[in-house]
Amino acid sequence: MTARLDPRTKLYMILVVSAVVMMSATTPFLWAVRILMTIVPIVLLITEKHYASAFRFLILYASALVINFTCLSEQSEGFLMAFLVGYCSIIVQFMPAMITAWYVVRTTKIDEFVSAMQKMHVPDGITISLAVVMRFFPTIKEEYLAIRDAMKMRGIVLGEGNIAKMVEFRMIPLLFSCVNIGDELSAAAITRGLGGKVKRTSVEILKLGIQDYLLIALFTSVLLIFVVFKYFL
Amino acid sequence: MTGSIIDIRNVTHKYKGSGQDTLDNVSLEIKEGETVLLCGASGSGKTSVIRLINGLIPHYYQGDLTGEVYVDGKDISQTELYELAGVVGTVFQNPRSQFFSIDTDGEIVFGPENIGLDPKEITARKDGIIEQMDLKDLMGRSLFELSGGEKQRIACASVAALLPKIMLLDEPSSNLDWESIGTLRDIISEWKKQGKTIIISEHRLWYVKDLVDRVIYMEDGHIGCEWSGDEFRSLDDNDTRSLKLRPVNIQGRYEETFDFSAKEKENHREEFTDGIVLKDFYFSYDKKPYLLFKKKYSEADGEDLSLCIPELVLPKGKVISVIGCNGTGKTTFLRCICGLEKDCTGTISIDGKEYRGRRRIGLSYLVMQDVNHQLFTDSVASEVLLSMKDKDDARCCEILDSLGLLKYKDTHPMALSGGQKQRVAIASAIAAGAEILLFDEPTSGLDYSHMEKVGELLHDLASSGKTVLVSTHDPELIECCCDYELYIKNGRVISFTGSLKKPESIRRNAI
Repeated sequence: MTARLDPRTKLYMILVVSAVVMMSATTPFLWAVRILMTIVPIVLLITEKHYASAFRFLILYASALVINFTCLSEQSEGFLMAFLVGYCSIIVQFMPAMITAWYVVRTTKIDEFVSAMQKMHVPDGITISLAVVMRFFPTIKEEYLAIRDAMKMRGIVLGEGNIAKMVEFRMIPLLFSCVNIGDELSAAAITRGLGGKVKRTSVEILKLGIQDYLLIALFTSVLLIFVVFKYFL
Repeated sequence: MTGSIIDIRNVTHKYKGSGQDTLDNVSLEIKEGETVLLCGASGSGKTSVIRLINGLIPHYYQGDLTGEVYVDGKDISQTELYELAGVVGTVFQNPRSQFFSIDTDGEIVFGPENIGLDPKEITARKDGIIEQMDLKDLMGRSLFELSGGEKQRIACASVAALLPKIMLLDEPSSNLDWESIGTLRDIISEWKKQGKTIIISEHRLWYVKDLVDRVIYMEDGHIGCEWSGDEFRSLDDNDTRSLKLRPVNIQGRYEETFDFSAKEKENHREEFTDGIVLKDFYFSYDKKPYLLFKKKYSEADGEDLSLCIPELVLPKGKVISVIGCNGTGKTTFLRCICGLEKDCTGTISIDGKEYRGRRRIGLSYLVMQDVNHQLFTDSVASEVLLSMKDKDDARCCEILDSLGLLKYKDTHPMALSGGQKQRVAIASAIAAGAEILLFDEPTSGLDYSHMEKVGELLHDLASSGKTVLVSTHDPELIECCCDYELYIKNGRVISFTGSLKKPESIRRNAI
């Protein structure tokens, strides 16, 4: 079975995971549910052949979990411990959302995304802006790397020891080139008919498959469990 | 209507916020099926004419516009941009910023989806285009991993998928190498065969010369003169030079420069005894897995190496062009020299002094293709001072003066023109004490006189004792300033020869 999920399922996953990371797990049962929920996007990453990132997430999350449960307690003290507590609990708490978001961004084609949004009757203005944001991430990364190289050559990676400068030297060229690219990009897009009154069509035919229903059911139950435990027990 | 598909009548245009007219009473008629070339210096109004036809003026770029533009019987000022999408298609200059999807398939269907075609029809068109333009090997790829030439092919395909009658190309070859320009020419000639009306704005004239029916020479916002295709093809170097155009006929002269197979056979390597010695430059993009210590690359890695230069001596105070196809290691070579690739452990010796590792940074400086990435501060002077260890205002002024930038001392670097920005980057390199200056495609997208200026600048830098390495696809630049040619293939130096140059007298004249 290929695990190509419908973008709507993916969005639902993000929604549920983000809600769940905001609620704390208090009992071993809840922890188990939370961990299960985190494993799902990691497994999905593997099915989409993103082995390296799946492995990295797995190691990071697992080690944070282990440290959190074995080494740390309310009695922990000292700087290192304070640091570890802060670091590990943030990872354990919020990593699931990050993994899911990463999975969705990495595996959703803009086309699919746009047609999913249309099926959900989201206004075009919102859809297109979100699509542009997705299109822009890799560009920002490319530009940022080029700027960092330029800074290395000038020996100003540390901004002459001044943190404000450090940020300024990165941000100014980045903003300039992103604005330029954005401008050219939108000119190119509208000459190809973006923003017309005609209803946009899509070659991506979206249909919820069995895997989508399974995952939606799974994530709904996760959400229900957390909500019930938090508010009703 | 007069049977012409494009009719521009007495158009005068000024961009919002600009003091000067970009177009000054321009009238132009183009018949259906014609292939027209727009040439002229940067800022002469070529791009504005293109924007008039695709409606970006006045609908996207605001400004004052008088006169009328009719395209395919439609009055542009009364027509919304999306209505033009199926009529006029535009291929832009920068391959990086004209695609909207992240994958190649999505990009080709993007236009047809926008105009609301039936999905079946879209798929059929897509398959047709892929077949016609031979794009099978590019399908299913991320657009971010394609080379400039491949991106431009996808851009052409995605425009063609809308089946427009009129094709506009705005300096499409600026970022392409020799081979990709050939592919681009084939695409244009295919369109011509299909009977499309084609308008190309271009600085590089030689590759389109056999395709064009009519040539419009633009000068300061108006039409300077007009040639038929045959008249244009017979223009010689003196004609083009007096008009500040790049040459039309270059066959013979440049074929030698870019005849890579002959160079491979020849395999000639100039030897220098006194110079800058590069040793053990090995590098690979395929990182080997390692546990604790990175393995150093060495010659033994053989085929895996993206760069393999055991030893190379560069003559001091000369301009050396680095040539070769795209993706063959030219940029890697430059990045390794200036120390940007940490894993490349080569050494550079100058006058018996050896530099390795991080010390190489500062010894050499790379002026990037997109110079906007390397300007960080809010004034030209502080940009230069930033590079100096001990801030010395007098030295700063001296450097700026030598590059003709002194009067822009307090200007914001981003407010300067492209050529001036390039010079600011060079100024900061000189201030940092760089001995080797590296340029990555400094003349892509430049017109003849700007290209000449860059050539002159490189020449002057070399005369002042710096060693200049310039990676380029621009035969005219090589001709006007390079002393040696270094041909690189698969990261290996294949040949290193003296450049064929124009006799000194012509060259001085040109400069």
